[in-house]
Amino acid sequence: MGEVAFGWVLIAGMAVVAFLARAVFILPGSRLRLPPTAERVLRYAPAAALVAIIVPDLALAHGAWAVSIDNPRLVGGLVAFAIAAATRSILLTIAGGMAVFTVVRILAGG
Amino acid sequence: MNDEQVSALRQGGFASVSLLVGMVPWGIVAGVAMVSAGLTQAQAVAMSVLVFAGSAQLAVLPLLIIKAPLWVVLATTLVVNLRYVIYSAVLAPHFGHLSRPWRGLLSYITVDGVFALFAARFRPEDADPHKHWFFLGGSLVMWCGWQASTAIGVFAGAMIPKEWSLEFASTLGLIALVMPLLFDRAVVWGALAAGGVALAAAGLPLNLGLLAGIGAGVAVGLAVARFGQTKAVRG
Repeated sequence: MGEVAFGWVLIAGMAVVAFLARAVFILPGSRLRLPPTAERVLRYAPAAALVAIIVPDLALAHGAWAVSIDNPRLVGGLVAFAIAAATRSILLTIAGGMAVFTVVRILAGG
Repeated sequence: MNDEQVSALRQGGFASVSLLVGMVPWGIVAGVAMVSAGLTQAQAVAMSVLVFAGSAQLAVLPLLIIKAPLWVVLATTLVVNLRYVIYSAVLAPHFGHLSRPWRGLLSYITVDGVFALFAARFRPEDADPHKHWFFLGGSLVMWCGWQASTAIGVFAGAMIPKEWSLEFASTLGLIALVMPLLFDRAVVWGALAAGGVALAAAGLPLNLGLLAGIGAGVAVGLAVARFGQTKAVRG
């Protein structure tokens, strides 16, 4: 499958998944109440998934460990975590993280 | 539409205008990041219309760049969207009396902010016959805002030089997004376990490391929650 064709299949699949997640109780008109354990799993999983995507994206470069001060993604990401924790602002987090990333990238000669 | 329906629609719309302030920059970043990650402009616009889920749209981009297999990307979409399953369960009693097309439309258009507004304002037992118009009004404002802001990002993104690596903004966006989700000790420990396992297992084929990380995160979160409960009962 070419890259563009893959993109379209992906978008169609994501559309179905995103719709089903929202429709699962609304569309059948269900009156079911979620048990507390199910609700816990549903609450913990998204945070776990996001962190499981973020951490390798920051700490690996081309599949190898890249834990060093001249890895722009790691340094920019850690600063972004600090900004997000302090300000809760999406805009400041992205702008600050991107600025640090760019400075490290230029200094490291990337 | 009668006057009361229009009035409920407008109330919902006005109530969610304040949410736009947070969404518009986020949509622009998502638009830029989608094209930087390799989607065509048409695909990026189609993704915003068809998928209409900001966090999932951003979360799949790092996976797209490392060429993860389709099922891993779809599984990730599902996990990131699991919060919608909770919303769906909460909203279902409100909308149970509506026709199937209405229920389909309201499912498709559900977003976090409007859900929060709606759940704070209406109880399931409220017989208010126009509450779905309120929900639709608020959601339509968010829908238009999301489509407009991601489209701006898509067309701006096509003009930005590749070496700026603006696709990294999607990871930074996820960092901003995950922070409010870390609302208690159990979920923080779960998230740390997820990150650690995903990193340690990153060499596994088919990106199984990601799924292992999610599984470990949920397990640790549940274990910490149970431990905390037991302690609270004893103490």
